[in-house]
Amino acid sequence: MNGYEIALALRVVLEKDTMRKLPFLNVVSFAISGSIVLLIPHPLAIVAAAAYFVGSTLESNAIASTYAGGPKDE
Amino acid sequence: MPEVPRMNELLILVFGAMVVLGAIATIISRDLFDKLISLGIIVAGIMPFLADRGLLDVLAATALIAPLSTIFILMAIRRKKDGS
Repeated sequence: MNGYEIALALRVVLEKDTMRKLPFLNVVSFAISGSIVLLIPHPLAIVAAAAYFVGSTLESNAIASTYAGGPKDE
Repeated sequence: MPEVPRMNELLILVFGAMVVLGAIATIISRDLFDKLISLGIIVAGIMPFLADRGLLDVLAATALIAPLSTIFILMAIRRKKDGS
């Protein structure tokens, strides 16, 4: 809520290792979903924030799983 | 009527800078996974603007569709890596 997300986004962009970028992307998404709840005092805001929380975690996990090779099916 | 908190100028600048940073990083980066991560930063940057206008249904739909599109792009990347 205080604008720390830009520092985290800068950290993600400046990081060289792809595998090390992913935890910082996850932290950015958590901070954004907290900001959504703090911005609007509406009962539906928590549903939207929870949807974004689940969606962003799924996205980061899918990228990490594909980068690591995925399930070995022979 | 209760006071409704809105985004101030600092937060507008921060999240706008985040979207621009993600776009520039998407263009510059060479690795395909780095490009996908930068696209995630762009999606994270536009979410507070949707929340600021009160478009909660649009926000929930976007939050569910954006990871789906990422997963589809990942399927194309994986097939390309297997083929080569």
